[in-house]
Amino acid sequence: MDSYFKVIFGLITTLLISNIYAQEVDLLLKNGHVFDPANQVDTIADVSILNGRIAEVSQNISSETAKVIVDATGLFVVPGLIDTHTHVFVGPEAKKFANGIYSLSPDDFSFKAGVTTVVDAGTSGWRNFPQFKEQVIDHSKTRILAFLNIAGHGMTGDELESDISEMNVAKTVEIINQYPNTIVGIKIGHYNGKDWTPFERTIEAGEKTDRPIFVECHLPEYTLEDQLAHMRPGDIITHTFENISERKPVVDQNGTVLPVVMEAKERGILFDVGHGGAGFWFDQGIPAIEQGFWPNSFGTDLHRFSMNAGMKDFLNVMSKFLNMGIPLKEVFKRGSWYPAKAIGRNDLGHLGVGAVADIAVLRLRKGSFGYIDARNNLLKGDQKLEAELTIKDGKIVWDLNGLSAKPID
Amino acid sequence: MHLVSNDIAKQEYRVMPFSSVLLYELEKQKNLFVLKRFPKLQSHISTDSLNQLNHMNFHTNLNRLRFLLPIFLFAISLGLHAQEYDLLLKGGHLIDTKNNINTPMDIGIKDGKIKSVTKSISGKKAEKTIDISGYYVTPGLIDMHVHVFMGNQLDDYIANAQTSVMPDGFTFRSGVTTVVDAGSSGWRNFPLFKEQTIDKAKTRVLALLNIVGHGMKSRFDEQNLSDMNPEMTAYSITKLYPEILVGIKAAHYWGGFDQVDLAVEAGKRANVPVMVDFGEHDPPNSIESLFMEHLRPGDIFTHTYSYGPTQRETIVDENDKVKPFVFKAQERGIVFDVGHGGGAFSWRQAVPASQQGFKANVISTDLHTQSMNAGMKDLSNVLSKFMAMGFSLEDVIARATWAPAQVIGRTDLGHLDVGAEADIAVFSLREGDFGFLDVRRNTLKGNKKLETQLTLRAGKVVWDLNGLAGTDFSNK
Repeated sequence: MDSYFKVIFGLITTLLISNIYAQEVDLLLKNGHVFDPANQVDTIADVSILNGRIAEVSQNISSETAKVIVDATGLFVVPGLIDTHTHVFVGPEAKKFANGIYSLSPDDFSFKAGVTTVVDAGTSGWRNFPQFKEQVIDHSKTRILAFLNIAGHGMTGDELESDISEMNVAKTVEIINQYPNTIVGIKIGHYNGKDWTPFERTIEAGEKTDRPIFVECHLPEYTLEDQLAHMRPGDIITHTFENISERKPVVDQNGTVLPVVMEAKERGILFDVGHGGAGFWFDQGIPAIEQGFWPNSFGTDLHRFSMNAGMKDFLNVMSKFLNMGIPLKEVFKRGSWYPAKAIGRNDLGHLGVGAVADIAVLRLRKGSFGYIDARNNLLKGDQKLEAELTIKDGKIVWDLNGLSAKPID
Repeated sequence: MHLVSNDIAKQEYRVMPFSSVLLYELEKQKNLFVLKRFPKLQSHISTDSLNQLNHMNFHTNLNRLRFLLPIFLFAISLGLHAQEYDLLLKGGHLIDTKNNINTPMDIGIKDGKIKSVTKSISGKKAEKTIDISGYYVTPGLIDMHVHVFMGNQLDDYIANAQTSVMPDGFTFRSGVTTVVDAGSSGWRNFPLFKEQTIDKAKTRVLALLNIVGHGMKSRFDEQNLSDMNPEMTAYSITKLYPEILVGIKAAHYWGGFDQVDLAVEAGKRANVPVMVDFGEHDPPNSIESLFMEHLRPGDIFTHTYSYGPTQRETIVDENDKVKPFVFKAQERGIVFDVGHGGGAFSWRQAVPASQQGFKANVISTDLHTQSMNAGMKDLSNVLSKFMAMGFSLEDVIARATWAPAQVIGRTDLGHLDVGAEADIAVFSLREGDFGFLDVRRNTLKGNKKLETQLTLRAGKVVWDLNGLAGTDFSNK
């Protein structure tokens, strides 16, 4: 009896395996340098995709059964990039981020920069998240996740943002539980008072939903030390390298990273770039990088006032840090796997078999480039990342030079 | 969110060198002085500075002026007087079709306008000099076919809807300073478009008004002949918004020639050109009849290289020959526009046409969400694509600057005449292995690609890819 089952089992296995081998794959990326830190892959390999998922990552996958083959020789194949700080609740309201024209449509910027997932940084709160979901999230090709603002109306740019009575923990938790796959944390920012209630409520909502909080600045009455002291390991603070009077800079007058900041990092507080229009300064970033204080993620703070300034797009921000001295592979880690972990989405940011096929195929250009900060200071560099191909859910959504296409006759 | 806050403005003031603070104060005094003596000049001074001045006490200021005057004179003697140019672009290779320039030239800018274009301007005469040697410099590009009436009417198509995009995220990074919205709105919803998008954009947004009152709200609305009103359309153009509306659009119509005829009627009333998207007729209407009998010289045929022969007659026949009447139509003055889009550019049309000497007059993108991440991408990519087909650099620049400016009757744009608004693009010409996609996902290889280094709109830097206008941090 035992041996009978063994034979049957063997037959089934054989059939299954042969079935897999006979199965056509939708897309095959040949010969790229695959860098997937979550799965310890760092080598020249092929990646095949079937039904929107990673089917196989190995050397010499047969080309015979692939519907589309892309020669990725000389290019890096990395998990689709994740931008942890964007404002994409775009709408018609003048002078507003929430449902306003200060926000941007994510698809306009994401794929051309290798980004497949963006996290909206609290543009909406519990009152208007459903509108954001219907109006933008459900209509975009980019995967949009969100930090929910503790302020009920999100980023209205007026006194509503500082109205404590609108910071309702129960409602915030209710909305998060209603959209658990989209909302990844709670944001606090833009509060002008001295009262710590808003911060405490943000953390309370984080505790109740098991999610990190995302701390922006524009909290002029809270000291940096107090903010960090209130934060839990895994919580995220953004605009790390800004230098404006509203928040104490992380690097002091002598160019040294503050001990309290180093301690917070060791304690597990995560530092996001949040480049924006005024959130990145070389006099902060360069000494910090030299002293080993590297950000955990490269949030761009994409919005109307950063898109054409020193920020530009996600790859430009990554390239800037590359030229500031963070090694390429450490830059890649901070482009997809680290942010995935930071937002509790370990299903993203890697190329494990069965994972969602979100992939960026990047070229490392060598040449003469320049990068600018919030004060229009220039850092010259010799490297720049460029997105050749972006794949979202297994589909090609950006193809800069027609790598996936047929040559004309 | 992080804007450039007041905080920064304050810091700017604090870090101003002493001499600049003096000049700043002097400038205020001088304006005031001039104002009191020559009240008629008021109209030349901005409302902002007027408000500022109204709050000041004249006598106190006069006293301060007495105190400051000797210092002012001293400053002049030190050569600290206002410079001849605010900005100098030095060392670039200028391509200015209108002025027949294709040679290295320096460009001096003052008060947002071109002040001088000559072989060599000294850096000493400018507040700021940007070295653009090794790059090409051109008038700011004009994209004559875009859809930028972005809005959130989720069930609608292009008018106030999500198939449109917001212009500023696409324009400056590809050297474009002016776009022409191609009929997203009609006379009924143009005011909303203007308020919501045009007035808020940094890009100069002009528009063709759709002959359909609701513009491109939906395919069904676009069939409604009773909403195609030449009188209202012409009135909006000539009386209400003559600065913005530069023509009329007829598109997406399933019937005969009636839509085009109504658009041309409106065009005659308003004395502006009509752009026609002549697809979606099954079977196709005759384009020979369109060119020779319905359109006027100066009217525009868009989607020139589209291949969808069951719904739109093509300019190149099934034997890869350009139809003879197409040449005649162009001679007659019909303007051919590329309007690349998501589905309207095929190599099988464009390559034989180019080989046989037929070239679209204007190269444009048909920017919208279905084209932005496809073969189109942006205007500099579309220009590079035409170079890969054999067009020269000066030829593609002409077709995206001076040519469209003339077609839309805005001859104030598309060139760098002295006195023109300083809308300028600076490109590098990358060499390498590039590929260009058409809408059928075929690639044409090329070895040159335009990359936008710097874009100026009215003399201000609005895009600076590699920090050409930045201050070198390593010198600090």
